[in-house]
Amino acid sequence: MAEEAQSRAHAVYDVALGGGDGAGGKLMVTRGTGRRVREALGEVLESLAGGGVLYVDVRGVELMDYSFADEALGILASRVAAGEYGDRRVVLVEEDRELLENIEASLRQRSLAMVRVDEPGATPEIVGEVPEHLVETLQAIYDAGSISNADLAARLGVNHTACNNRATRLFKLGLIHRRKNTAAPGGRQYFYEGIV
Amino acid sequence: MSTQLELNVRRKGAMSGVLTIGSLDPAFAMAREVEGGMAVLDLSAVEFVEPAGLCGLASLLEFLIPRSRLVGLRFSGHNVTAYLERMNFFKIFGHRVETNADVAALEERRRGNPGTLQELINFHSEGEIPGIINRISEILTNKDYRLRERAAICATLSEICANAVEHGRSPFGAYAAVQAYQHIVSGPRRGERQGEEVLVAIADGGVGVRETLLRNPAYVEHTGSDNDALRHALKMGVSGTGEVGRGGGLAVVGQIATRAGGSLSLRSGSGRVTYYGDRTNSRNVPDFPGAFVRVSLPRKAASSQPPAVSKSKKPIAKSR
Repeated sequence: MAEEAQSRAHAVYDVALGGGDGAGGKLMVTRGTGRRVREALGEVLESLAGGGVLYVDVRGVELMDYSFADEALGILASRVAAGEYGDRRVVLVEEDRELLENIEASLRQRSLAMVRVDEPGATPEIVGEVPEHLVETLQAIYDAGSISNADLAARLGVNHTACNNRATRLFKLGLIHRRKNTAAPGGRQYFYEGIV
Repeated sequence: MSTQLELNVRRKGAMSGVLTIGSLDPAFAMAREVEGGMAVLDLSAVEFVEPAGLCGLASLLEFLIPRSRLVGLRFSGHNVTAYLERMNFFKIFGHRVETNADVAALEERRRGNPGTLQELINFHSEGEIPGIINRISEILTNKDYRLRERAAICATLSEICANAVEHGRSPFGAYAAVQAYQHIVSGPRRGERQGEEVLVAIADGGVGVRETLLRNPAYVEHTGSDNDALRHALKMGVSGTGEVGRGGGLAVVGQIATRAGGSLSLRSGSGRVTYYGDRTNSRNVPDFPGAFVRVSLPRKAASSQPPAVSKSKKPIAKSR
C-alpha cells in the first residue's frame, strides 16, 4: 500500500455502539433512525482532515431494513459523490451477510457504490454499482496501490484523456483518492490510489 | 335501521372456519351502505382468525364505527373470543362495539398464546416502529429463531409498518399483527413444505396505493386501475415521491418473502395482488378503504436454507 494512503487521517464509527449520542443499536430500522445515524456519521466525516477516511463499521448491527440502509448509507454515499465532504471518503466495514443486500439495493437504486472491507486492512470489495467500463480502471488502481495517470493509461491501453476521465469519475464517486504531482517530469500529473 | 353484514367463511376444506381478509369482502361491500344506522357482523361461523383477518376486521370496524350508530359483533363458542382477547382485540375495540362475548370473563382467563409474535397493535407514527421491532425481536430470540429468520421477520414488519404510516394519512393510523403457525402452509407448491409459517399482516386507512402513486406523474400509465398500481408498487424504486432511493422497501420485502418460499399480498381499493416471485396473481375485489399487506414467511429446516447470498462479492484488488 502506498505510504501516502497510510498517512491519511481516518476514524472508525461503530454503528451498533453509536457515538455516545444514543444513535446506536443492534436493530436498525426506519428512515428516522437512519437519518440520526447519517447525521452522526456526517459530523465525524466533517471533523476529519482533507483526504481523511471514515470507516463505518456495521458488524455489530444484527439487522437493518431497506429504509434504514438507504437513509443512513445510500444518502451518505450520494452526498460524498456530490462532493459535500470534499475529498473525504467513506469505507463500509461489514462481512458478507444478508444485511448487506439492503445496502446493495439502496446503492444500486442510486447508481452508486461504496468500498467495503470485512475488517480494516482486509481486501477491499465493492458494494453497489460501478459502471462496467470503470471496473477495470478501479481494479488497476487498487492493484497498483498508487499509480500515475500515464502509467494507468499505459496499463489499460487507453489515451491519457480517456484514462483521466475514467479516474476522475471514480474519484467523484468517492472510490479512490487523487493527488496532483506538480514535480512530475513533463509538468503536473495526477496520481491515483485506493482509499483503503 | 340495522344492516346485517355478511361474511364469506368457508365451511369445507383446509380454510374451513378461518377468517381471512377475503372472508370480509361481502362485509366491506355492504359497509358503505351503513349510513348512521346499526351494523351487525355475525362471526359465529368463524372458528379461527389469522393475522390478515384480524387486521382486516380492525380496518372494517374503523370504517364502520364513525358511520354507524352502533356496531354489533356476534360470536359463538369461546375459542375465537379467547383468541381475540389474547390478541388484544377487545382491549382496542371492546368499548367501541357491542358484543355478546363476556369480555370480563375472558380477561380473567387470559394466558399466553405460544404462536403469538405480535398481538394486534395500533400505531400512528414511524417513531413507534423501532420499539415494536425491538419487542418482536426479543420474542423471536426467546423462541430460538435463527438470526436470519429474525432479520427477515423484523425487516418485513418494519418496512411495511413504515409504509403504512408514511403513505397512510389514516384517521386510525395502522394495525399490525404477527402469528406463527405449525403445519399451515399457504402459497405455491402446497404440500411440499412442512413445518411452520409466520404470517405478518398490516392494514391502514389512508388514501391507498393508487392514489399515492398518482402523485407521481411518471406513473400515469401504471395507475389505470388499482391492480395496475399494486403491481407497479412491487417494482424496485417505485414511490409516490419519485425521489431516488425511495420505493425499495416493498420490493425488498417481496424478495425476502419469496426467497423463504412465501408470498406477499397487497390489497388497496378494488385491487388485490399476490406476488410469488415467479408469478403475480391479481383480481378485483370489493373496495378496501386504505392499504393492506400480508406476508407469508415459511420457516424451513436449517439444512434446506439457501446459503448466504454472495452476489455482492466483487473484489477490487488482489487478496492481501
